[in-house]
Amino acid sequence: MSVPFSGALRRSGGIVSAIGKQLKSVNLKGVKRITVQFDPFAENVKSTREFLFLLSTPKVAGTNPKCVVKPEIVCDRQPANIKFALIESAQEQAKVKEIRFNSDNLNTLELLQLCNKHVSSLAPREEITNKVLTKAEKQKLAGGAGGGKKATKKK
Amino acid sequence: MTTLIQRSLPLAKTSTPALQFLRFRGKINIQRPKAPHYERARVVAVTQPKYPELPKAKSCFKTRAERTKQQQENPYNEIIAREVRNWLEHSRLVAFFHLNSITADDIFRVRVQLHKQNLHLKSYGSKIIEQAVKNTQYEAILPLFHSNHCIVFSPDTQKTAALLRIVRRVPQMVLLGGIVEETMLNRNQFVAYAQMPGLHAAQAQLVQTLNQAPGHLIQQLQAHQNSFVQVLDVHAKNQVKEETPEST
Repeated sequence: MSVPFSGALRRSGGIVSAIGKQLKSVNLKGVKRITVQFDPFAENVKSTREFLFLLSTPKVAGTNPKCVVKPEIVCDRQPANIKFALIESAQEQAKVKEIRFNSDNLNTLELLQLCNKHVSSLAPREEITNKVLTKAEKQKLAGGAGGGKKATKKK
Repeated sequence: MTTLIQRSLPLAKTSTPALQFLRFRGKINIQRPKAPHYERARVVAVTQPKYPELPKAKSCFKTRAERTKQQQENPYNEIIAREVRNWLEHSRLVAFFHLNSITADDIFRVRVQLHKQNLHLKSYGSKIIEQAVKNTQYEAILPLFHSNHCIVFSPDTQKTAALLRIVRRVPQMVLLGGIVEETMLNRNQFVAYAQMPGLHAAQAQLVQTLNQAPGHLIQQLQAHQNSFVQVLDVHAKNQVKEETPEST
């Protein structure tokens, strides 16, 4: 009597690949401004600073060039927080004007997961308007209509 | 002669052993070795070396390479730590920045602009800075190095305004704090220090304030004489004006 297989076939790549995977799905199209506020001498700001760095990478910043990331340094030891100010369509969808993460007790991976869960889902969906047809696609469309004759001719 | 030796000393007899050639032109087999005889296998099993293994709790999540490797610290780290301590002790102005994602081109441009103002942009690993700074008076700067960072050193303190002017054009550099003349300043204090006038200007202002009270006293003492002189001046001018039209 054998026990059915349970578990993973592939080994996980660790926390770094988990962060990379989350980063790939970050979409800031629904945000118009991000304010990252922290006190550099407070405890537990490492994850906030790492998150700020990851937001400034070209790939993430390229999802929405209009979105401004503003780091704010405070000096009164208050806990770190990250505020996302949403665009109008995202505000209607989420029924809130801005989303705030209190990042004092969250690590970088959790911050990214929460960001994907709450913020990336509010990105407006893109509609493909002018699709340019390639020659092969045009032939296919035309070939469907008058196909038989052309096929015999080629032969 | 040799046969004589061989007959007298039987142990000196040498004969070539029987040679059986195993290899003849073909490739040798190492991928499918023959299973050893039981006796040979027993000897091999007994003579296998046994290496001591660390207690599992410490080495649970480490790979085999990490478990067997002995950690040795690189002595070059000590040299770089000494360099960091040197920079910290001999610069009167030190500024710490958080560094966001920036291209090498851009950071080079910033480095050149800073260099023209005698400001030196440096960056070191957090372990090295910890080694350099722990148990010294600069220990308070350690929390700033948990993430991507850079440090700017300068031997003169008058360049804070220039530094902030250059860094304002670079959105990727975020000022966290600084050390000015052995005093640790947070960001707001650093910016306020940059906006203050220099030491000479402050000294001149102090002298002016100190001179205000006695200056006021002198002004009051000389008030009557000054007003008398002014009245005489006006009177003299009027007389001159009256004389000149009469002469013409």
